[in-house]
Amino acid sequence: MDGVRGRLTVTLVALVVVTAVVLGVGSYLFVDASLRQRFLEDREAQARFDLTEVIPARLSPDPTQSELDAVLEILRRRGGETVVDLGDGRPPPFLQQIGPALRQLAPGTLAYEWTSIAGVPRLVVGGRLADGPTFYFLHDASEVERALGTLRAALLAGAVVLAVLALIAARRVARGVLAPVDTAARAAERIERGDLSVRVPVTSRDEFGAWAEAFNRMAASLQETIGRLEVAQAQNRRFVSDVSHELRTPLTALVAEASILRDHLDALPPDARRTGELLVGDVARLRVLVDELMELSRFDAAAERLAVELVDLARLVQAIAASRAPNAIVRAPQTSVFVETEPRRLERILGNLLDNAREHAPGAPVEIRVRAEPGSAIVEVLDGGPGVPADRIDRIFDRFYKADPSRRGGSSGLGLAIAAEHAAILGGEIAAANRPRGGLRVALRLPVTALLPAGDDAATDTSQRMAANPPLRELQP
Amino acid sequence: MDGSILLVEDDPSIREVTAIGLRNAGFDVTTASDGVDGLERFRAAPFDLLLLDVMLPRLDGLELCRAVRRTSTVPIVMLTARGDTIDVVVGLEAGADDYVKKPFEVPELVARVRAALRRSKRGETEDDRLRLGDLAVDVAGRTVERGGEEIPLTRTEFDLLVELARRPGQVMTRAVLLDRVWGYDYLGDSRLVDVAIQRLRAKVERDPANPQVLLTVRGAGYKAVR
Repeated sequence: MDGVRGRLTVTLVALVVVTAVVLGVGSYLFVDASLRQRFLEDREAQARFDLTEVIPARLSPDPTQSELDAVLEILRRRGGETVVDLGDGRPPPFLQQIGPALRQLAPGTLAYEWTSIAGVPRLVVGGRLADGPTFYFLHDASEVERALGTLRAALLAGAVVLAVLALIAARRVARGVLAPVDTAARAAERIERGDLSVRVPVTSRDEFGAWAEAFNRMAASLQETIGRLEVAQAQNRRFVSDVSHELRTPLTALVAEASILRDHLDALPPDARRTGELLVGDVARLRVLVDELMELSRFDAAAERLAVELVDLARLVQAIAASRAPNAIVRAPQTSVFVETEPRRLERILGNLLDNAREHAPGAPVEIRVRAEPGSAIVEVLDGGPGVPADRIDRIFDRFYKADPSRRGGSSGLGLAIAAEHAAILGGEIAAANRPRGGLRVALRLPVTALLPAGDDAATDTSQRMAANPPLRELQP
Repeated sequence: MDGSILLVEDDPSIREVTAIGLRNAGFDVTTASDGVDGLERFRAAPFDLLLLDVMLPRLDGLELCRAVRRTSTVPIVMLTARGDTIDVVVGLEAGADDYVKKPFEVPELVARVRAALRRSKRGETEDDRLRLGDLAVDVAGRTVERGGEEIPLTRTEFDLLVELARRPGQVMTRAVLLDRVWGYDYLGDSRLVDVAIQRLRAKVERDPANPQVLLTVRGAGYKAVR
């Protein structure tokens, strides 16, 4: 039992049990004392009567054995057991079982002792006649012990029942007291999951009630703020999307026009020719920018569909490198590294990483490494450029981030942001780090969900995968 | 003259520069600025190829494509604003043979147009009958039958089926299929092949989700069952 509820329960139960034990022990001691007292008083009165009336009437001052036997016979008939110590130096063996106070009684006095003889609880009352023998009356005290035993059992049972009842009650009370906390925890969990409409009921006017009201005010304020932000963000995204779409029509005309102009640059007069060349180049740059903006606005609209298939990562990377960066060195393991991914996106990611490497380390060798780790496959692009200052390395995946703002390259500053978005859609991630000896290392980590053996079985499996490809199947009539 | 093309495009600049580019390449180009105008011009005179924008006023390019397909097998190339898979699928469904994504460079467009024209002219002399699983393919008659029942296919789907059926058991990469069926090698865009295979399977496979005739070979391409 952990937590506040457990501690509360334990405390309540402990309180009840301690109270029950104190009361039980107290009442037991009281009953014990009074039972013994009454038993003793009765027996003492009888002994006194025997010693003053019954025995002296039948014994001469110097009693004979037959007189003693007669007296003992009378006492035995009435019940109980009586032992006589004549004080003649031959004490009966019984005396060894009782205390000295009772063994050497002053003449004319009475004493008693609770003891146990041969496993039977006994009350021994002893009385000595004036200058005569000492009589010991042995009484069976079993009934007292039995009564006390019953009482002990009853008290113990009562205590157990009380403890169980206390436990049940305590749990119920603890739950009741802590219910608002549970409600609050559940509400907070729902908010964490993004359900900002959650409110907790205000059921009392105590501290919990006040807390619930404060919680609800906070949730309402959060909901409103997030709602406003979402609207603003949606407007922003729609604007980017609209702008990209609106740019597309004139861009299409521009690209077509530039492609014709390019074929006729030689026919232009020299001063117009250079302008024409710049125009053709800038149209290409604009095309890249609009394409990338469109791509990003598709990410933002969460309109991306994923069409994964099983691919041999090393082979695919080699093919992409061959077409995008023929000079790059590719290091891949001998064994195949299979990942379930979308080759088109992977090509886009890797292409952007290679473009980035080429741009920031012009002319320097680029290396691509493929390796497998448990649960993931990693493609690294390493360049020999200057790297990125440590304080800015996390920002290179931001949109429009340029490591060197003064550089006027063909890059839009969107390439790495796009690569990171694609990687996230593939369930992977991209991270960048400076290499110890200079240069930048950008690593794409992809999840490996299934490792299938190569061969015909695998091929059959893949064909089923392809056929069950949701993005394509949904569209079939 | 390499052939006559009907270009239907609503944006005046795109229409004009495209027409200039195609004329420079030797084609005879007729233009229309909306779908209804385009359909009227198509009905008024025969063309060797139609180049249709998807988004058109009055009658959109897909509707126009379907209307043309009801009466003609003329090659149709769509100009799509988005290169998304969905546009490719919708275009192929409407009966288009190929698509060119905007923005495009004129030489690329010309190459695609030439490829589509070449494709429409070939194959008429072939006299093969092929068997593929339980399918009977009449190459000359351009029909596919299963148990005497004809399965209607578009031109592209039929060409793709014949290409695979001619080499049963042999793996054909997407690049090879693009080259042989569509007549060009467009690096990196294998969606056209994938979508066309999916559509073809939907027609010729008994259970398209579990293909028995047109098989995928992981990491390589497709093959017809031997």
